Amino acid sequence: MPSWQDFEPFIVSGLALGGVYALSGVGMVVLYQATGVVYLAFGAVGAMGALIAWSLINAHAPGWVGWLACVAFAALVTLAYGMVFGPALAKRDPLVKAVATLGLTLVLFGLMDLLWTTSGGQSRAITLPTDNGGFMVGQVQVDWTQVISLALGVAITVATGAFLRMSKLGTAMRAMANDREITATLGVPVRRVEAAAWLGCGVLAGLAGVLLADLVALDATTLTFLVISSLAATLIARLRSITVTFVAAIVIGLVHDLLTPIQSLSNYRDLTPFVLAAIALLVLSSGGGRVLARSREEA
Amino acid sequence: MAAPGGGTAADTEVRAASARQRPPLPRPSTGTLVRAAVIVVLLLFVLFALPQLMSLYYVDAMTQVAVWSMAALGLGVLVGRVGLVSLGQVAVLAIGAWVAARLLFATEQPYPLVLLEAGLITMLLGTLIGLPALRLRGLYLALITLMLAGALTVVLATTNFPNGGHGFLGYNGSSVHIPPIRRPSIAASDPAYFRYAVVVAALMFLLVFVHIRTRPGRAWAAVRQSEPAALAAGINTWLYKLWAFALASFITGVAGGVLAGANHYLYSLNFPTYYSITLLAVVLMGGAYSLWGAVIAGLLWALLPSLLQDWGVSADWLTILFGVGVLQVLTTAPRGLADQVPKDLARLGRLLRGLVRKRAPSESGAG
Repeated sequence: MPSWQDFEPFIVSGLALGGVYALSGVGMVVLYQATGVVYLAFGAVGAMGALIAWSLINAHAPGWVGWLACVAFAALVTLAYGMVFGPALAKRDPLVKAVATLGLTLVLFGLMDLLWTTSGGQSRAITLPTDNGGFMVGQVQVDWTQVISLALGVAITVATGAFLRMSKLGTAMRAMANDREITATLGVPVRRVEAAAWLGCGVLAGLAGVLLADLVALDATTLTFLVISSLAATLIARLRSITVTFVAAIVIGLVHDLLTPIQSLSNYRDLTPFVLAAIALLVLSSGGGRVLARSREEA
Repeated sequence: MAAPGGGTAADTEVRAASARQRPPLPRPSTGTLVRAAVIVVLLLFVLFALPQLMSLYYVDAMTQVAVWSMAALGLGVLVGRVGLVSLGQVAVLAIGAWVAARLLFATEQPYPLVLLEAGLITMLLGTLIGLPALRLRGLYLALITLMLAGALTVVLATTNFPNGGHGFLGYNGSSVHIPPIRRPSIAASDPAYFRYAVVVAALMFLLVFVHIRTRPGRAWAAVRQSEPAALAAGINTWLYKLWAFALASFITGVAGGVLAGANHYLYSLNFPTYYSITLLAVVLMGGAYSLWGAVIAGLLWALLPSLLQDWGVSADWLTILFGVGVLQVLTTAPRGLADQVPKDLARLGRLLRGLVRKRAPSESGAG
């Protein structure tokens, strides 16, 4: 059994990872509440944005241009998808809407493999200036990227909560989570509210893309399927509560990284989100299967 | 996916259901006979003429088509018949391949027996997974199966596929001479194994056909239309959903067994998580509501990449095409290519006839 000292650095990295999962999860929950879409292309748009940023930085563009390009790309693609396919699928089952975003995932995935081929075996990396410097907590080095990741996770969660409760747009989103038709009847411009939700979700996808490319790896497959970890957090929150999403995301990040120093479990640490989400879903569902059927109906 | 076809799909389904409830006719209609004859001729052609006409490269590709048609068939039962979307079917296929490879290395059992066992063990595992998952519906089931697929990818990357080693996992990381996974003695060569795979696939299609035409098929149709209504009609929805899960897992497990022999060597890299998503894409594109859809899905999955490779086009274009295909199918043509192509051909035929007669094509009776 490794000693406590071995775990300490992984608490820091786990919290940072959890922070990014949290901001991803919050973005997905808000989009689901406003539009009924589980955005499974979240990881793919972030990954492609990060690859674009890498290309720009490699072409000697200043770093901030690359990061902005990443966020802008993710936001634009997400908004465009929402504008084109959102209305077309608005009346369909949530399952159909989710599967449709898998179509976008495949398109982006193919494009990434085509444009940034991995067959050469060269590894890419994005380094943020915040990777250098930082401070010590006890024996552990903490860099600013990790601080930003956790802080952004907390800030996005708090800000989104306040936004949904206090602003007019947020209230409209919550109304649409209840009933799109009635909200439209009340004079809320549903298309514009949906567009705002898509845009916000896209911005978060871009942010998560940059941060995860730095914290984990800049690899199309890895980043595309890291969405599953955030998805696990949103599922634990039943796609409703952003507070629960935040907590679940932090726990997933922490457990994942804390398993690293334990030899026998280290190889299986990527199972963390699946196992936690499966347990949560199955235990929750035993309480009442109906609750999980369509949370939107009774939300 | 509750009645993705909208009104028309529901109507045809109701008509089909009422047609099935009629007492069996004393004589099959001419249409049925013609259709059966076409299938038999096609099967004979595929079995005996096709391996002669094609190079070994394409024979191998067609063997993969047979395997992936079975996988698509299994997923098609879930998606098209019962309306359950699973995003983890390639993980189930990997389980089947793993079990078959382990049995083939460990025992001298005849190949068909191994296939049967691989199917049954995969069925058991699939049902065990399905049992709790069936409490979840629609969206949640799809997402939890996606997670299971991701989880299995992680586990497989650690355990690896058996390669003739000892122990439960049968993996020997340091072995230099890895023995190939054996094939049945009657089907050692590639063309012979192709025929073998087609026969197995045909049997699986027959199995599903029988299911669809009998009580389970009717129960599934009812569940897909409306679960509460099916429940009210006295259908044990839980049992029939689990049955569908078991059947799909069995077929996919057998497909995994056929895949093990076809590839000779199995690696966890052969079963990435996104394959499960791509499989759903080709099943939707082929048409989840028709058995022909599974064949088309198999062709899309396994023959197209070989063609593209032959032509020197990157397979990534295919991934992009499948993505566009999913979006197109879900927004405009929910019944997939198996339904769309005959309709379009009929429309084209009418158009051509109209042109020949120098008249505007009539659109009457479209769809």
